[in-house]
Amino acid sequence: MSSRRGFLRQLALGRPAAATHEHTLVCVFLRGGADTLNMVVPYGDDRYYQLRPTIAISAPVANSANKDAALKLDDFYAFHPKLRPLLPLYQEGRLAIVQAVGSDNTSGSHFEAQDQMEHGEAQARVANSSGGGWLGRHLRTRTGRELTPLSAVAIGPTIPESLRGAPTASALHSLAELQIQAPTQDARAVTAALAALYGAEVGLLSQPGRSTLELLQRVESLRGQRYAPENGAEYPDEEFGNGLREVARLIKAGVGLEVACLDLGGWDTHFFQGASDGLQAAQIALLARGLAAFDAELQAVRARVTVLVMTEFGRRIYENGSLGTDHGRGFALLALGGCIQGGQVFGEKPSLTADDEFLLGPGGLAVHCDYRAVLAEILSGVLNNQQLGQVFPNFQPQAIGLVKV
Amino acid sequence: MSSTRRAWLRAAAIAGGVLPLAACERLLSRVSRELGQNIPAQFATPASADIDPVFHLLSRTSYGLWPGDWQRAQAVIKDGGPAAWIEQQLAPDTIDDRLCDLRARRFETLWHDPGTCYEYKKEVLREEITRHTLLRAVYSQRQLFEVMVGFWTDHLNINLEKGDCIYLKPADDRTVIRQHALGKFRDLIRASVTSPAMLVYLDGKENRKAAPTDIPNENYARELLELHTLGVHGGYTQQDVYEAARCLTGWRLRTTWRKGTVYFDPAWHDDGEKTLLGQRIAAGGGAYDVDRVVDIVCRHPATARFIATKLTQKFVSETAPSSLVERVAQTFTATDGDSKAMLRVILLSDEFQSARGVKFKRPFHFIASCLRALGADTHAHKPLLEYLLRMGQAPFQHPTPDGYPDEATPWLGTLLWRWNFAISLAANNVPSVQVEAARLLTALGGDGAQLDPARLWPHFIGRMSTAAESQPLTEFAARSGLQGDAHNAELLGLLLASPAFQRY
Repeated sequence: MSSRRGFLRQLALGRPAAATHEHTLVCVFLRGGADTLNMVVPYGDDRYYQLRPTIAISAPVANSANKDAALKLDDFYAFHPKLRPLLPLYQEGRLAIVQAVGSDNTSGSHFEAQDQMEHGEAQARVANSSGGGWLGRHLRTRTGRELTPLSAVAIGPTIPESLRGAPTASALHSLAELQIQAPTQDARAVTAALAALYGAEVGLLSQPGRSTLELLQRVESLRGQRYAPENGAEYPDEEFGNGLREVARLIKAGVGLEVACLDLGGWDTHFFQGASDGLQAAQIALLARGLAAFDAELQAVRARVTVLVMTEFGRRIYENGSLGTDHGRGFALLALGGCIQGGQVFGEKPSLTADDEFLLGPGGLAVHCDYRAVLAEILSGVLNNQQLGQVFPNFQPQAIGLVKV
Repeated sequence: MSSTRRAWLRAAAIAGGVLPLAACERLLSRVSRELGQNIPAQFATPASADIDPVFHLLSRTSYGLWPGDWQRAQAVIKDGGPAAWIEQQLAPDTIDDRLCDLRARRFETLWHDPGTCYEYKKEVLREEITRHTLLRAVYSQRQLFEVMVGFWTDHLNINLEKGDCIYLKPADDRTVIRQHALGKFRDLIRASVTSPAMLVYLDGKENRKAAPTDIPNENYARELLELHTLGVHGGYTQQDVYEAARCLTGWRLRTTWRKGTVYFDPAWHDDGEKTLLGQRIAAGGGAYDVDRVVDIVCRHPATARFIATKLTQKFVSETAPSSLVERVAQTFTATDGDSKAMLRVILLSDEFQSARGVKFKRPFHFIASCLRALGADTHAHKPLLEYLLRMGQAPFQHPTPDGYPDEATPWLGTLLWRWNFAISLAANNVPSVQVEAARLLTALGGDGAQLDPARLWPHFIGRMSTAAESQPLTEFAARSGLQGDAHNAELLGLLLASPAFQRY
């Protein structure tokens, strides 16, 4: 009985937070096939302007107040003006771009391409593919710290395919869900009863019971305070921004978050895509403002956070008859974090696919870097997963140099 | 839960009209309740300080006890001993399961051949087979059969998300797993080797020798030896894997007419001589090579030991007592791997009785046992399935061929979701599930206002509670200041969330 009281007292006082130096990988999926050519603009390539007479982003102009012009990264690439919030991150060396990334999927189907990418597979899913999502396999093969209920979190209503097969995965909209869901206002009494029941445990469930109660308490103390993002971070007040804010809170709370998945939709811009303003520009602004806020808020722990922004495929190099772009192949992937060798654009310049690859119709950008090479480099270089063969069977990743050594 | 002919006629009368689909499930629920799938008005529970032996037998051979199960089994065992009850469970065909069928048989994709399944959306196929599995676990009277279905499903794991498996698994579930769940091991493996779902899941359909330079695909052959039969240290060599793969070349799936069914293509088969585990397989065996492989691996002593160990771990404890494993392995060898014979040895052993309450319920088991303990009414819709997904054990979703682990450790991170499920369920807050908490409490002898938590525990954990268990609930009762139904529901929720109910 005394041990139970001791445990309750410990709970009441709050145990010193365990050393939780987990690294968190945040995967942002741009659903719909983002036109990254208008995000990381190859202004040094004349064909870009020839093939996109109305939707191209104008080339950067030095010392100009023109808010429609692109923002210069180097002598060839420039950011879409709505990516301005991310410019300092690039210049300070923690945001990198990998060009010509993609999968070998030639179906042109959002569903197939997303599915394949989330499963971490090649189009021909034969030979030893192990099923499940790539993050699910990563979580099953990684070693080290114990899993917690919050090791893997998806922001949204359901668990995405990439987390399928994970040993634990939680879909949440906000921290509000991380509490004892007592139907009455009596969650505290229920928690106290659980603490007493599990505090009396001596066997297998003693430790997990305690860590779960501790986690609830940590989250509750967060919830109790009115939450104001630090460092002047201003998240866009909609689903994506709110999701990033909740992920940042979880990271700061040290609840063992290793993988977080978020979606941002609205990238299927077949029609009236717009240029520096318009439909796509609005989504770009959401992405940029959200990531910049996230980066600012987590200033103190940047070395332990990595964000990947990917999409199922890029779009074609030329605009279509309805001032939009159609489904293409290669895209530019964004990687952000203290471990990222930022401030540069990796990979081959955007180029058209060779004639004999026109399976989707002409104009898709060539894929020079299998998307799994990026994921593999992050898993091994940042998250220290030594079993890449289990996560990406039958795949030999090419080195990119994306991770600081 | 006996159902007389008259009761069925009455049920038919209730059903006497054409109803919209939404009302259809309400009707099924009502009919089921009418016919006895309910909480008995009164039922006895164990009264011992340690877990009652009959409760133990039931909880290991089921997905948890339904209200009244203990009293019914007790009656059978009083006359004929535990063997009498075990024999009933080992003859599932003689157990009336019509009430479970009412809920679980209506998913049409489960009855189709693969070709027809291809006409359905993946979402539909996934949902139907998942709902079917959960509903059988919760409502079947053939509980030991369902437990063995779960065991072999993990043993011969197939992930719906790989390739075309989702179209092919319904047939595998029907003709491999359920067909042989209580049968002979050799028949089970023989059915699995050429099951279309397995041929896709482990790439058997890619395994060919169409040209002299073709090298066999060893994926399935390796798992057959490593995971399905001999076990990883079963004494086979790389050469054995290669030779087994050669024997298994040529099994293909039709891609147009009768899509997804299997056939043997001699042109893809390596018909040369092979040597597997020291036994010669003569050239020219053709399609019969597969039978030779199955005979050789299933009669190998390592297989007897491997299966005996896994079954003992499943039914007794993670650290399978070697004395018992030895006897089960001997039974395997003597009976050609007869599951029933092995289960008799295990369930009637001293080792079994002395391992009470030491196993940890996996999430699927936990959820099914909560539903059963409360006598819940559900048709297993999405909100319920989401809990399985959240705890990482949705049926047929394990990515790797080793199946969901049976050990406790991988599942210890799921407590928060268990607690929330327990509390939500008892308070009727899981959408699409109905619980009659008041009826259960009355049946357990609790009278609303004067409820004594100590009277509730035995139904859930098979013994009286200890002071450390009952005191928190008494304190909760005093502290919460709640009255009536909401309070009682939370007490039931705490029982389901308690450490003792996580074990079995």
